[in-house]
Amino acid sequence: MIESERQARVRKSTSLHLAMEAAETLRQITEFPDNPESMAYFYDLYQSRFKDGMILPQNGKKLVGTMCLQVPDELIVAAGAVPVRLCSGAYAFDQAGGDFMPAKSCPLVRATMGMLQVNNDTMKDNLSTIVIPTTCDQKRSSVEMLRNMDYPVTVLEMPASKESDEARTYWQESVKQFALSIQKTCGRKITAKALNAAVRTKLEAGKLFRSLQQLRTESHPVILGKDIWLVSNSYFFDDPDQWCKAVGKLIAELDSRKSAGFSAINRKAPRLLFTGSPPIFPNLKLPILVEQAGGLVVADETCSSERLLHDAVVFDEKNLNDMVPAIADRYLKPCTCPCLTPNTDRAKKILEMVRSNRVEGVVYQAFSGCLPYEMEQRGISDMLSREGVPMLFVETDYSPEDQGQLSTRVEAFIESIKVRKRKKQ
Amino acid sequence: MSSIRKFLNNSDINRFRFYFQLVAFGLLVYGGYLSINIGDQLPTFACVFDDKRGGSCYLMGFQHQMTFPYARLFSGAGIGILIGLLTFVGFFIIFNKAWCGFACPLGAIQDWLTMLRCKMGIYYSSYSEPVFKRLSTIKYILLALLILIPMGIGNSFFGLPTLNHDFGVPFCMICPGRTLLPLFNGDFSQLAIDFSSKTKMVFSGLGLGITGMFLAGAFAKKRFFCLFCPMSALHYIFSRASLLRLTKDGEKCTRCGNCYRVCDVGIRAIADDLEHINIVKDDCMMCLKCVSACPEDGCLKASFLGMPVYESTAEGFFRRRLKEDD
Amino acid sequence: MNYFAGIDIGSTSIKIALCDEEGSLAAHATCPTGSHFHQNAKAAFTDLLTRESLQREEVSYVMATGYGRKLYREADDIISEITANCIGATKIGLENGEIRTIINIGGQDLKVISLDTDGHVKNFAMNDKCAAGTGRFLEMTARNMEMDVMELGDCHLSAKGPPITINSTCTVFAESEIISLLGNGHGQPEIIAGIHYSIARRVARLAKRIGVEETVFFDGGPALNRGLVEALENELMQPLYIPELPQVTTAYGAAFLAMESVLYVGGNKYA
Repeated sequence: MIESERQARVRKSTSLHLAMEAAETLRQITEFPDNPESMAYFYDLYQSRFKDGMILPQNGKKLVGTMCLQVPDELIVAAGAVPVRLCSGAYAFDQAGGDFMPAKSCPLVRATMGMLQVNNDTMKDNLSTIVIPTTCDQKRSSVEMLRNMDYPVTVLEMPASKESDEARTYWQESVKQFALSIQKTCGRKITAKALNAAVRTKLEAGKLFRSLQQLRTESHPVILGKDIWLVSNSYFFDDPDQWCKAVGKLIAELDSRKSAGFSAINRKAPRLLFTGSPPIFPNLKLPILVEQAGGLVVADETCSSERLLHDAVVFDEKNLNDMVPAIADRYLKPCTCPCLTPNTDRAKKILEMVRSNRVEGVVYQAFSGCLPYEMEQRGISDMLSREGVPMLFVETDYSPEDQGQLSTRVEAFIESIKVRKRKKQ
Repeated sequence: MSSIRKFLNNSDINRFRFYFQLVAFGLLVYGGYLSINIGDQLPTFACVFDDKRGGSCYLMGFQHQMTFPYARLFSGAGIGILIGLLTFVGFFIIFNKAWCGFACPLGAIQDWLTMLRCKMGIYYSSYSEPVFKRLSTIKYILLALLILIPMGIGNSFFGLPTLNHDFGVPFCMICPGRTLLPLFNGDFSQLAIDFSSKTKMVFSGLGLGITGMFLAGAFAKKRFFCLFCPMSALHYIFSRASLLRLTKDGEKCTRCGNCYRVCDVGIRAIADDLEHINIVKDDCMMCLKCVSACPEDGCLKASFLGMPVYESTAEGFFRRRLKEDD
Repeated sequence: MNYFAGIDIGSTSIKIALCDEEGSLAAHATCPTGSHFHQNAKAAFTDLLTRESLQREEVSYVMATGYGRKLYREADDIISEITANCIGATKIGLENGEIRTIINIGGQDLKVISLDTDGHVKNFAMNDKCAAGTGRFLEMTARNMEMDVMELGDCHLSAKGPPITINSTCTVFAESEIISLLGNGHGQPEIIAGIHYSIARRVARLAKRIGVEETVFFDGGPALNRGLVEALENELMQPLYIPELPQVTTAYGAAFLAMESVLYVGGNKYA
C-alpha cells in the first residue's frame, strides 16, 4: 500500500473513533436533567465540529496553532490571524500518537501530536505556524518532532520561574520577539489600535466568564460544572464574538433561573473544586463522573477553563511600548502552572478558592505521565488536610477503560463528604 | 449605602484625580488671588516663593526653624516648632500620601508631562528597576541634609565653624518648586542664578540644573522626581498613623501583577507582598491606580477611618477597562 | 421481627447478609457471581429467605453494593462498597477497639481504606486497572497447584524453607513463572509462600501510600488464607484483625446501613 493511501485510511478510522467519542461524551453530558436551553449552542458546536474529524475552523483567515495557554493570543489576533489552541482531549488521537510517542508520555501531548500526525498533510498547509512555549518538558520536546513532520514551529521562550525581575524582563523580551515574528508570519503589522481591539475582546470574554463563574458558585446552583467546561473549552477554537454572544445568552438564562429560585442539582450536593491536569473535550471523563455521582463542581483551577480566561491585561499607555510588556505580564505573573518553580501561588489560589466558594472537597486529576501535576499533588493534599478539606487524587488518562473503577472511587469520596457534612450539622 | 459604595467602586479614579489635581493646583498656586490661605504647614509643595499661593509648604519654615541655636531650640521657641510640626502632622494624617497623588502641584506637573508625552506618541524610557530603587534612598539623605545643614548655622558641630545664613533653606534652593511654580504667576525671577554670594551661586545653579532634570526626567519616566522627594520621606515617618489607609487582603491576591503594572512609581510590593495589610510604601503617592486596576473583589481597599471609600471589584474593573475607548 | 438485607455483588461472588433490628448479623449466604449475576443474586436471596423460613415482606429494606449494585434493580437503595465496607468493619471490629485501616482483597481488586477516629472514610487507595495481587491471582495459583483455594494457607504454613521469590505480580506472567518453578523441582509450599509474599508486598506498597494506623482490619475472601495473613502481617509489620466471616463484612455493612436508614433516619443517610 502506498504511503498516502495508508495515511488516508488512518485518518478515516481516527475520524470515526473521534466522532464516536465526541457523541458519547455529548450523550453523557446531555443526559443530565435540566440542561440550560442556551447550552444548545455549545452542544451543536461540538457536534458539528467533531462529526467528521474536522478540527480547524475555516473562515478564510490565516490560522496560528498554539500548544499552551501561555501563548499571548491577543498578538496573533492583532496580526490578523486566528489563534487555535491545538491541545487535544481525544482518545482517538491519543491512540494515534501512541504509535510514535513514548508510552509514559502525557496523554494531552500525545493526543495533540497524534492529531498533527494523522492530519499532517492538511494541517501543515492550513497552519501558518504552531507556537510552542517552553513550558513543560513534553511540550518542549515536541518542537523537534513537529519540525520533522514539516510543520512550521515558533518557539516562545518562557522562563522556568516568575519571581525575579530578570525572569520578567526575559519573558517581556521574548514576547516582544514573538510579536515581531508573528507579524512577519502573518504578513500584517501589529498596530496599537488592532492590539487594543484584541485585548478588549479578550477582556469582554473574561468579564463574561467571571459572571458565569459567579453563577456557578451560587448556593442555588443554576449550572453544572460539566457545562462550564464545554463553554470554556470552546474558547480554544470558536470565534470570540460568537462565543461572547452565546455566553451572554447563557448568563441571561441562568440569571432568570436564579431569580426563579431554580436549582440544577440537589442543594445539598457536595461542593467540589476540580484541579490538576486539564479536562479537554471529549475527555471530560472525570468531571462528568463526579457530577453523575451527585457532586457539584463549583470551581476549577485548570488551564482548560478557569486559568484560560480569569486574568486580564492591564496597560497604562495605549502604545505598543507599554501594551506588549503588559500582555507579557498577563501571561506570566498570574500563571500557576506547575512547570514554574516555585509554585506557591497555585496552593494559595486553591486555598482561596476553597474558602471563598465554600468548597467541601477537592478532586485532583493527574494524567499519567504528567509529572509536574503528579509531583505537586502531595503538597496540595497536605495543605488541604490541614484545612480540613478532603481531597481525591486520581491518576488517569484518556482511555475510557477505568470508568467503572473510577466511579466507585468517586462515589465513595462523595459519600464520605456527605457523612462529614451530616456530622457537622 | 451599598449603592453609594457600588457607585464609588465603579468609578474611574483616574479621571477624578485629574480634575481634583486641577482644582488643588489652582488653590495652591493661585489661591492668593482670592486671599485664600489654608496654612503654613502644608505637607505638600505649595511654594513660598510663589506670591499668589493659597498655602505654604512646611519644609521652608521647618528648615528655617532648624537654624535656631540649641538654646533657642529648647526654649519657648521649641514649643512653637512643636506646634508647627503637629500642624503639619495633623494635615498629613488626614489624607496620608494622597497629598502627593492628589494635591502636590509638582506631582501634577509631572503627570501633565506624562500626558503630553503620551499625546505626542513618545514611549517612556526603559531603565533597570533595581538600580532605580537603590537611587531612591537619596530622598532620606536629602531629608537628613535639609535638617543638618540648617542646624549647622545656629550651632557648631564638633568645633567646626558655623555655616553662614546663605545655607538657611538649602532644599528650597534646589527644589524645582521654587523655580517652576512662580512661573505660573508670570514670575520668572527664580530662573536666574544668584551671584550675590558663592554659596547662593552654587545653590541657585544647582537648583536650575535640578529643574532641568525634573522636567526631562518626568517627561521620560512617570513621577521621576517623587522617588527623590524628601517630603515623601518625611511623610513616611507618620504614614502609619494616618486616617486614610490603603490596605491589601493578601488572601484574595492572585499576584497577577496588574497593580504593579500601572504603578507610576514601580512599587513591587503591591503585587508581591501577601503578608502586610498596610501596603503604603515610602514611594507611594496613593493615586489609587492600583485599586482601579485590581480585578479581585475586595483585594485592595482605600478606607477612611475604617470606612471603605474605594475598593477593588471585578465589576468596577471591567467597567473601567471596557469603557475607556467609548 | 423486621430484617434488613445487604447484597454485595462482587466480581467473583455474591454475598448476602441479613441483620435484625439490633443490627446484629442474623444470617448470611454466598454464591458465585456467574454470568447472570442478577438472576443469581435474586435466587440466592430467595434461598436464604427460605432457609431462614422468612417471608420477603419481613425484609423491610434492601441495600445493594459492589460492582453490580446499580444493576440490581430490586434494591431500595445502593451504596458504594467502600462506604459499606467501612461501616461493616467498624461495627464488627468494635470489640477489638477502633478500626483505623481496612485492607480488603476482593476477587478482582484490592483496596486500602483509612478511617478517621469517628469511623468515616478518610482516604483510600485501590489497585489500578490490573488484577495482580487479587483473589484471581490466588485462584490461578491454586489451579496450577491442583488444589483448592482454601488449602493454600495450610500448604504455605507447611513450608520448610524460605519463600521463593516470584518476580512477576502480573497474573499472566506469574503463571508461567510458577510452572517453570514447579518444573525445576521447587516445593509447592515454598512457591505458594512466595506468591503470598508477592501479594503482601503489593498490598503493603499501596497501604503505605495512604498510611497504616492501628487497628488494621483485613477482610475479603482471601483473609481466610492463613498463609497470606502471615505474609501480610510480616510485610506491614503490624498484627491484623481478621473477622470471623471476612467475606461478608461489606454485605453486613450494607445491611446495617439499611437498618439505620429505616429505623433512625428515615432514608439513606449517606445519599
